[in-house]
Amino acid sequence: MMNLAQQLQEQAKKLLEEKKVDLVIGFGQGTELARNTPVFIDSPEGVSALTWGPFCANNLAKYLSDYNNAPGGTAVVVKGCDARSVNRLLDDNQILREKVVVIGVPCPGQLEWQKVSAEIKPGSTLKEVVDNGDSYTVKTDSGDYSFSKKDYLLHRCLVCENPNPVISDITIGKELPVKNYEERFAEVQDLEKLAVNEKSAYWDKQFTRCLRCYACRNVCSVCTCEVCVFDQMMPMWVSKRTNLSENTAFHITRAFHVAGRCVDCGECDRVCPMDIPLRKLNVKIHKDLGDLFNSPTPGTEPGLISPLGGFSPGDPEEFM
Amino acid sequence: MESRVVNKGQISELLDKLAKDYNLFAPVKDETMTLFRRVSGAQDVLLDYNNSDISPKGCFLPQNEKTFSYMYTGDSLEINKPEGAQKTVLFGARPCDIKAVLTFDPVFEGVKFGDEYYSSKRENSIIIGLSCTKVLSTCFCYAMGGGPCDITGSDLLLTEIGDKYYVEVITEKGQALVDAYSQIFAKQDTAQLAKDKDELAKKLSGEFVRKVDLTGVKELMDNNFELPYWSGDDQKKCISCGICTYVCPTCHCFDIFDYTTGDFTGDRIRCWDSCMYPEYTLEAGGHNPRPTRKERIRNRFMHKIKYHLDRYNMVGCVGCGRCVIKCPVNIDITKIINDLKEVAQNA
Ligand code: SF4
Ligand code: SF4
Ligand code: SF4
Ligand code: SF4
Ligand code: SF4
Repeated sequence: MMNLAQQLQEQAKKLLEEKKVDLVIGFGQGTELARNTPVFIDSPEGVSALTWGPFCANNLAKYLSDYNNAPGGTAVVVKGCDARSVNRLLDDNQILREKVVVIGVPCPGQLEWQKVSAEIKPGSTLKEVVDNGDSYTVKTDSGDYSFSKKDYLLHRCLVCENPNPVISDITIGKELPVKNYEERFAEVQDLEKLAVNEKSAYWDKQFTRCLRCYACRNVCSVCTCEVCVFDQMMPMWVSKRTNLSENTAFHITRAFHVAGRCVDCGECDRVCPMDIPLRKLNVKIHKDLGDLFNSPTPGTEPGLISPLGGFSPGDPEEFM
Repeated sequence: MESRVVNKGQISELLDKLAKDYNLFAPVKDETMTLFRRVSGAQDVLLDYNNSDISPKGCFLPQNEKTFSYMYTGDSLEINKPEGAQKTVLFGARPCDIKAVLTFDPVFEGVKFGDEYYSSKRENSIIIGLSCTKVLSTCFCYAMGGGPCDITGSDLLLTEIGDKYYVEVITEKGQALVDAYSQIFAKQDTAQLAKDKDELAKKLSGEFVRKVDLTGVKELMDNNFELPYWSGDDQKKCISCGICTYVCPTCHCFDIFDYTTGDFTGDRIRCWDSCMYPEYTLEAGGHNPRPTRKERIRNRFMHKIKYHLDRYNMVGCVGCGRCVIKCPVNIDITKIINDLKEVAQNA
């Protein structure tokens, strides 16, 4: 039987040979054993670069809008969470359905590469990764290493809602059981229990560290504005100067700009070079959207109208 | 110059004293991060770290810096400049980050355009380096002319050996400091410690896993601005996030703007900027000479391996590996160098 990477390569090859797409965006081996990196494949000969495994954290759906004006179609490899981004990009009219081929891979969870890397002998070469359910075994030329999912998965994966891509034209691999994680909001609930001044102290400590590099915004598949408010100079809504007040203005504004559209792909949280727990901010909004409007995570279904983005004349809110 | 010894047990006392007599910048733990901050004493300092998340460059080029404040009242304009820098000690910086400070010097202390804000900090600072004890898989300082125990740029270099720090006095500033705290910097026979340091340096130099070799790369760049290589995957996957430049100890781009409350009173601020941002080269008329990620990536990497060499005869990367670790899409300068080398060889 072919492994998932081989199946991926075969499908990509077919798409390119049959000219269904001009480009396949997928994952390839990165420069560290435990890291994969986005690859852009434009010829059937190139597909051998495609790989799959627990080091495919990036949400590649983000790149789709770069190829909107390309003459041909684009295929993209997505995990469960990334697929929500595809739906969201479609709903935001950022991409055209007919130009996109979604290759979905049911995802058993992605590992935090730095944590994994720290345990593996530097300079080792990856042979294969085996999924044992609760753990992964990473086989290398310097020996086998075992990583329990509980301790090494990205936080978002520990409470994953959709391991199976919610939109997919070609699915590679078997569907995985979907779990309903009670603890999905546990961290946010802990924060909610704090007194106002304690909450404020918690976030002050986080936001003070922010470098305002804007990686969290740039990686975000729902941050699609041509000119972002934070880049505007006239008027300068938020100063380039970094300090707690400006940083807080940035974070609160961005959280509200993505509220109701954020698909909880967790990318902002993953890329932040200062380990600012941005997911907590977004997940709090998800929790409130669920509690107040009974609204599922954005992107879960196509055509989902965001409670904050829709309009209904029957809205009980007087202001409307 | 001479060398001395500090017992580990006395490091706290030293840090407390330094914090009293100087502005002391040292590595600290902030949750999961290791950062350089101003500290008030030994209690906050963490010396057992590998490669801080953010380099200590902020000590000389802070992310935000007030250059002056102004007040215009209709008939008079008042300008107030901040006072010169205070006496500062940068403690516990790693050799790569110290070498990086040397790459700043010709930029900010150039004969034609001296930068008084920088010079004042530089002149009033003493750098106490700390040899590395571990090589990470992303480190490649050796390939950029440095090394885990390299003394270059330090006024004093501490090397941890057993329960002692072996202290090399490198400059006169360093000498004055050890003399001032001579009860802590003990005069002892250091022959064995010097040997131990050499051993450590030798051992660590064997631990690098990234093979990086710059030979021929600059020559290729010199004659080929338009290489098809720059149109490859890197410019497709880069998200223009600026992380690589903010974490880089040698990146020094800045922006200058006014921070006002709307009237004619305010501060003129200089703050970090990044050549990876599209806005960085956007001109007032709307033209952008580096319009796509291709030009921006080419600029960043050519700055490191060509332009800095052209201008100052120093390579603009010290091999700290931070951009390699932090780039969210795994754009890796060591891969770029090796790829370019291959291009050069096949040319
Ligand atoms: S959140 Fe789910 S689909 Fe996304 S990477 Fe984690 S396990 Fe995979
Ligand atoms: S990625 Fe992190 S450091 Fe950068 S702007 Fe976002 S929160 Fe701040
Ligand atoms: S805000 Fe963060 S979690 Fe939400 S869609 Fe954007 S990158 Fe993903
Ligand atoms: S370019 Fe990268 S490796 Fe080189 S000094 Fe800068 S951050 Fe370090
Ligand atoms: S960190 Fe990586 S993605 Fe971000 S600007 Fe630098 S090279 Fe591009």
